[in-house]
Amino acid sequence: MPDSSLLKPSATETAQLSEDTFKFLAIEANWVRRKVVDMAVYAKSGHVTSAFSQTELLVALYMGGIMRHRPEEPHWADRDRFIISKGQGGIGLYAVLGKCGYFPMAELDNFCGVGSHLSVHVEAGVPGIEVHSGSLGHGLPISTGIAQQGKLAGNDWLVFCLLGDAELYEGSNWEAATYAVSAELGNLVCVVDRNQQGVLGFSDKIESKRDGPRTESLDDKFAAFGFEVRRFNGHDFSQIFDAFSDVRTRRSNRPLALIADTIKGCGSSLMANKRFWHYRVPKDDDLDGLRAELEAQRKALCGE
Amino acid sequence: MSQTAKFTIGMRDAFFTELFEIFARDPNCVFITADNGAPSLDRFGDELPDQFFTVGIAEQQCIGMACGMAYEGRKVYTYAIAPFISLRAYEQQKIDVCAMNLPIVSIGVGRGYAYDIMGPTHHTVEDITIMRALPNLTIHNPADGVAAGALAEISYRDASPQYIRFDRAGIEDLYAGMDVSFEDGLIEIAHGEDLCIIATGVMVHNALKVRERLTEKGLKVGVIDLHRLKPINRDLLFEKLSGVSNVCTVEEHLLAGGMGSSIAELFIDECVSTPTLRIGQDDRFAFDMGGREQIWKTYGLDVDGITARIERWMGK
Repeated sequence: MPDSSLLKPSATETAQLSEDTFKFLAIEANWVRRKVVDMAVYAKSGHVTSAFSQTELLVALYMGGIMRHRPEEPHWADRDRFIISKGQGGIGLYAVLGKCGYFPMAELDNFCGVGSHLSVHVEAGVPGIEVHSGSLGHGLPISTGIAQQGKLAGNDWLVFCLLGDAELYEGSNWEAATYAVSAELGNLVCVVDRNQQGVLGFSDKIESKRDGPRTESLDDKFAAFGFEVRRFNGHDFSQIFDAFSDVRTRRSNRPLALIADTIKGCGSSLMANKRFWHYRVPKDDDLDGLRAELEAQRKALCGE
Repeated sequence: MSQTAKFTIGMRDAFFTELFEIFARDPNCVFITADNGAPSLDRFGDELPDQFFTVGIAEQQCIGMACGMAYEGRKVYTYAIAPFISLRAYEQQKIDVCAMNLPIVSIGVGRGYAYDIMGPTHHTVEDITIMRALPNLTIHNPADGVAAGALAEISYRDASPQYIRFDRAGIEDLYAGMDVSFEDGLIEIAHGEDLCIIATGVMVHNALKVRERLTEKGLKVGVIDLHRLKPINRDLLFEKLSGVSNVCTVEEHLLAGGMGSSIAELFIDECVSTPTLRIGQDDRFAFDMGGREQIWKTYGLDVDGITARIERWMGK
């Protein structure tokens, strides 16, 4: 195991990124996926494939030192603000927050249960969660307000807004995009989880009547609004860190649109890139197979 | 009470004039407009540019951004045409404002049929119904510029989410020169045992004229201006209705779920059996041209129509 002190938030801005770090993070990502499965099985609910799609992004942001945060002090004034606009990704975010120490890990084991603070869609009040989310198209407008205030006050913290790509069908995002560029919110980092799937089908693979309207080119759309656009593999830690490398040091008034190409259900041969699994929890043989697959991935990563 | 038939500047201008002084002394206040103006609003942008933001015709962005700024500690006022800041941005009002329980004041201008010839896109006769369904929200519906002006300080001191409905243009003063408080949520303008008309907004003016007509016919008629629609000051309302034989609600709004509905719900829950009539718009859109008073006339919301309806109902 690599030295975990590499991953402490205070040390991270100067952290040396290495293969060991990426491997450590990959192990964390595997842990998050396995925890997500446990949580979904317990609650008989939760968006497993949405969580698998965003896993490496969240692990890199929270555990890889990209974001400035203090789990023991969730409302630390100088923290970066993280707005999860794709509120259904809550199950995966909770696992990351729990692992970071925002709340007792036991909370994860009672996901959606009696007395739990963790609902399927995230709610403000849970340590590490800033605002309610779950109705899509809310997070980016809210993020512009937070970023506007940060800019007015001359603060150096950043606003990270995680958007689902299918969420971008909601027009309110583009109202916010117009404002963000015009107001020169260079402190706003939009991260698009670009898995090309919505609830029923795919967005840019028109094979079925269940597939949604085409959305490409997302790069061109964000660029046309005035964003600085970067596109990368959202499951590859090396590419993720490259994309985020200068978010804190760059001196630009253009908001960032970081489009991460991802796979909905990544990590599971059963669910990856398949229709059907948006809001389903595997069971019986499917569940056993999924758990065995994730365990095999863990063993491979740990060299067992 | 005596009525002074003088027109003030518009309600929103009365409000903004007072609000400007508050903004000038408290730089924590910010204003976000969805491309809606007012003569008295120009000063904000000119003199307090760091407290004034325009998002364009984008009400969802207006309210979402307000959430972000209020979450970071600002006192936020938002402003748009009434149907758009309520209906268009309703889900943002529900989640980003009310569920977050943030100090955001949403100002909608052009309530009811104030944008008369603009048609149903600009009529706002559904907003009370949907906005009063939102937990944590306070709803103000002042009857004149004096009440509107007083709301600046009231809304500033209140940290809860608020929705304020204004008329579009000037409206006759009811309270000019009078020593009245708008803190209680309602004002009993006149008392009468035979009938109490509970009216809100511009319909308070019609109710007072209806009262004159009915008084001439020997009825003892009271009028209550229910200027805070949520929460209703139930105890004070029941105190004022004590000994009253009949109640009539009058609103420039759909009957479905409007102010009259909220009174009826209150009466049912409190086992109040006073005969009660609701007057408002029936289950229709108003495509009618000719102006606001013509709309009132067509749908029985003018003084003649309200008077006749009450007389029929009371068997006079």
